Amino acid sequence: MSADQEKLIAELVEKGLAGDMDEINAIEDRVLRGKVKSALAKAKRAAKTTTTAAPAEEKRVAETIADTPPSDNPNQKFGQIIEDTFQGSLDAELNDTHIQLKPDNWFEIAKWLKSEPSLHFDSLQCHTGMDMGENMLEARYNLHSMTHDHKIEIRIAVSREKANIPSIEQIWRIGDWFERETYDMFGIFFDGHRDHRRMLLPEDWEGYPLRKDYEVQETYHGIAIPKVKEGWE
Amino acid sequence: MGMLENRFQDNVVVAKLDKLIGWARSTSPWYFQFGLACCAIEMMAAAASRHDLERLGMMPRSSPRQADVMIVAGTVTMKMALRVKKLYEQMADPKYVIAMGSCATSGGPYWQHGYHVLKGVDIVVPVDVYVPGCPPRPEALIEGLLKLQEKILDERPLTRKMA
Repeated sequence: MSADQEKLIAELVEKGLAGDMDEINAIEDRVLRGKVKSALAKAKRAAKTTTTAAPAEEKRVAETIADTPPSDNPNQKFGQIIEDTFQGSLDAELNDTHIQLKPDNWFEIAKWLKSEPSLHFDSLQCHTGMDMGENMLEARYNLHSMTHDHKIEIRIAVSREKANIPSIEQIWRIGDWFERETYDMFGIFFDGHRDHRRMLLPEDWEGYPLRKDYEVQETYHGIAIPKVKEGWE
Repeated sequence: MGMLENRFQDNVVVAKLDKLIGWARSTSPWYFQFGLACCAIEMMAAAASRHDLERLGMMPRSSPRQADVMIVAGTVTMKMALRVKKLYEQMADPKYVIAMGSCATSGGPYWQHGYHVLKGVDIVVPVDVYVPGCPPRPEALIEGLLKLQEKILDERPLTRKMA
């Protein structure tokens, strides 16, 4: 590319940035026109990144220095709404990642979460269990609203001795198999489930495999289950 | 067959009945169509047009009562082990079992930590041919089936077994 041409392109890009596209469109040579347009696009992109970066930085600083920011985090917001409606149902401080609830009136809360028009959590996206150690088991629910497009995570912790949580299988039908699997793997009992059986393992299996202290049974119907195979590795 | 051979018209074959039955059985081992895991996909590929198991006279049967060969294609869990055994018992004699792939042979990747996996299907049913691979390609399965055919061909169903 000659120096002349470069100079011409630079001039045209300047004009283009100022909003004058007529001159660029009037270029006869297609190759040159293409070059000018691509240079213009590049210049515009560069201008955009430099202008947008600065306000984002300011915003972040503003958030950190504010004393009590009005949180729009859904877990904070809806956690507060739940606590206002069902007094004493929270099991821990509100935070950004999840809402920790007590198991006692979970069925009523779940029913309300789905039916209340301003919340309308119509989809249970995921439900799983977790062995938290220290004798605690936890069930987790990821809820999403198709209408409002907001989502929250509910966690309910129970002790191993009394691992009972009300079933929400009648509220979100997908919960049927979800809860059966959690029961199968963690031994959390879902009270009120209409088909409370194991999901994957055989009915007469002993123990719950995803618990941290799980010990494999020695035989199953006369078939020996070797624990750790010797002579491997 | 020295004396009788080539003594008759074109279409007459002279053979021992024993050997003839073995030959007939070896060229039509109908297999029981059931798959347990990814090996089943390879078994399906072997049965489909490119590899075409029907060349070997092998036809998938959906009932154990009509099948001669059971191809255990995949991971046998403890829950399934009892059912595999039951299905084997439902097959009519003479019956054969092929353990296809690492899982059916020895537990495969679940050898050490799979608490729910049977470490080889030979724990519950007698196995005739083991096909290694994870999963074996259709060629490997076909080789296994050819080995099984050899085995069937060598059998002498009418000959009295010597003590």
